[in-house]
Amino acid sequence: MGVFRFSRKQLCIPYAVFLLCFVAAPLLVIIYYAFTNGEGNFTLDNLTGFFTSPYTIGTLAYSFAIAAVTTCVCLLLAYPIAYILARSQWKRKSVIVVMFVLPMWINFTLRITALKEILTVIEGNLAFHPFLNTVVGMTYDFLPFMILPMYTTLLKLDKSLLEAAADLGAGPFQVFGKVTLPLSVPGIISGVVMVFLPSMTNYVVLDMLYNSTYIMGSLIGSFFSAYDWHNGSMIALILLLIILVFTLVTDRYTEEDAGSRGGALL
Amino acid sequence: MRNKKIGRIFVLSLALSLLAAVGGFPPVREEMGHVLAKDDVTTLRVCNWEEYIDLGDWDEEELIELDNGVEILGVNALYEEFEDWYYETYGKRVQVEYSCFGTNEDLYNQLTLGDTYDLVCPSDYMIMKLMAQGALEPYSEEFFDGDNEENYYRRCVSPYIAQVFAENQINGESWERYAAGYMWGVTGVLYNPELMTREEASTWAVFDNPDFYRQITLKDNVRDTYFSTLGYLLQDRLMDSAFVNDPDYSRKLGEMMNDVSPETIQAVEELLAGIMGNIYALETDSGKADMVTGKIIANYQWSGDAVFAMDQAEEDGVYLEFAVPRECTNLWFDGWVMLRDGIGGDPDKKQAAEAFVNFLSRPENAVRNMYYIGYTSAISGGEDDTVFSYLNWCYGAEEEGEEQDQAVAYPVGYFFSGNSEDEDYVVYTRPEQVGRQLYSQYPSQEIISRAAVMRYFDEEETHNINQMWINIRCLDVREIPLWCVLLILCILAALAASVILHKKNHYYG
Repeated sequence: MGVFRFSRKQLCIPYAVFLLCFVAAPLLVIIYYAFTNGEGNFTLDNLTGFFTSPYTIGTLAYSFAIAAVTTCVCLLLAYPIAYILARSQWKRKSVIVVMFVLPMWINFTLRITALKEILTVIEGNLAFHPFLNTVVGMTYDFLPFMILPMYTTLLKLDKSLLEAAADLGAGPFQVFGKVTLPLSVPGIISGVVMVFLPSMTNYVVLDMLYNSTYIMGSLIGSFFSAYDWHNGSMIALILLLIILVFTLVTDRYTEEDAGSRGGALL
Repeated sequence: MRNKKIGRIFVLSLALSLLAAVGGFPPVREEMGHVLAKDDVTTLRVCNWEEYIDLGDWDEEELIELDNGVEILGVNALYEEFEDWYYETYGKRVQVEYSCFGTNEDLYNQLTLGDTYDLVCPSDYMIMKLMAQGALEPYSEEFFDGDNEENYYRRCVSPYIAQVFAENQINGESWERYAAGYMWGVTGVLYNPELMTREEASTWAVFDNPDFYRQITLKDNVRDTYFSTLGYLLQDRLMDSAFVNDPDYSRKLGEMMNDVSPETIQAVEELLAGIMGNIYALETDSGKADMVTGKIIANYQWSGDAVFAMDQAEEDGVYLEFAVPRECTNLWFDGWVMLRDGIGGDPDKKQAAEAFVNFLSRPENAVRNMYYIGYTSAISGGEDDTVFSYLNWCYGAEEEGEEQDQAVAYPVGYFFSGNSEDEDYVVYTRPEQVGRQLYSQYPSQEIISRAAVMRYFDEEETHNINQMWINIRCLDVREIPLWCVLLILCILAALAASVILHKKNHYYG
């Protein structure tokens, strides 16, 4: 009688199907469109077009600038909080962590709408500081993604290492600079990845905060709404490649850190 | 008028989805199918703009009692009531599958990606594009038979709209064979009269006026922005009295405002780049709310949305006005067209689609739509004076006392009978209405005379105009100052150096 037995491989089937339908297949469509023109012939024009237009390169630079500044601001805000929370002896600190995560449970367009009003009260006229507003909006949106991985890394940090460093004569600053900070690099990197990449394309924040300059996400959208699937797909593809390179580099870095550096410290 | 509804729609949809969740909803639908054999039910797939039809569920006190004795109350969504009406009138069952689209481009993309609908409601230029591609099914001869009682569209459409639809042609065929008008309007400037004069608002140059630095929004939409900037660019020629009095004025105006030659696009781009430095931002939907909260004091607006915004602002104690620029204005339409792929030669389907248009064109249904969505219906009512009575009900001055003495005459004859001098169609209204809702909902004859329809652009023109838009919206890499580039390079170099040094110390130190 039917006792169903699944091998591990079979358990992966649902996810494999999902991956095939919603990741692999669309990716192939993007690649197809990116390297064809309106008549369906192979072309590299979309690729060269991207790198020769001062406007698309400018958009790439602008997206990078927004993402970089947002990431720096998030990092500077989040690290002390994560550090204090992880080190504090207070029993209810999970409550505070929840408070930082809490905004994520509310839809972010609602939060940005509220932010818009707050910023208007502070600045008077939002139109004067589009870049600043965008960075504030992005930071507001992505801060929890920065705090959480750093908090977990710092929480797991072996306290005996800190004690050992102190016993061997390091002052509190030295302990932080030589032990805590290097050991929290994996947390910092996953936080950076989680903030930097989405903020390159999160154009809804720009739209809602009245920044009319395109970033990569909105540029793709503008091509699609003009029925130009080819150039739009090419930009999407380039963005994917940037993300791929970024992830590969940071992956290597975190592995090295977890292995060699941690080992060397011991 | 709509914001009260939204709450109710929300509650209703919540209740409906709950109902559907517990399984009460689907069986009702199925029952209908069981009573009749499946073949007897025609399915009509309709796709319309969001919030662009009366969804019913009005409060009792919202009952509209018109002077001509007609009482109007929206009970159910119009497309649901259509199913019953169709059965009563033709003895056949129809089931409407109603869905919505967000922009004309979205609809077009949906169609090219293989979604099929039978009846859709795009705007003028998209109708032209679909017509030019041969994607549309023409209306039947019977649809235009004015003797047939049920042909409400033919009998009730405004003579003005009918004329525009007859005059505009694509490849030698006029629109009227393929499209039935639904809503229409003009574009202009919605402004706060306390902070801007009517004189200042009545020109496309307002967006470049340094007195309102960073206080006005334009639409995040290349066609609208192109039109307003072109109107500003050609200001002197458009206002020239020799041009205005030219017997061929209307046609020439249309040509000028549809000029998308590379030189014109270039000139518009240069002008628009300057305007972008003066306006508050580009917006799609936030403009109405931003007027009320005082973030901005004017914005580019479609007349229908302007009516809605003025109504809504009034509830918050803010009085807004609408001005149509003196240079020219963009006359736009949304119309019902049948898709060849959807209808697929099925006569039942075609009949149902035409009946749907006729049902929406019944004067009381046109009034329900106008009340609900704030836009202006293309229906004037023909012999039936329900629509005109509704106009009086909305905007007419009290017929006694002070209001009567102050009332001003506002002729709308051009729309209702084709003759602007027609004394039967004059609204006696409160003086302030002349710059407000009535004026937006039914622009005066004088405004209509300087209105131009914006046609669709072919592939190359679309590409050029879109490239112009990208140039405006994107940061030009050549504009990044040198010190900025150098600074970034220094930071990157410092970062790389620190990583490399760190590693060296690490392994060999």
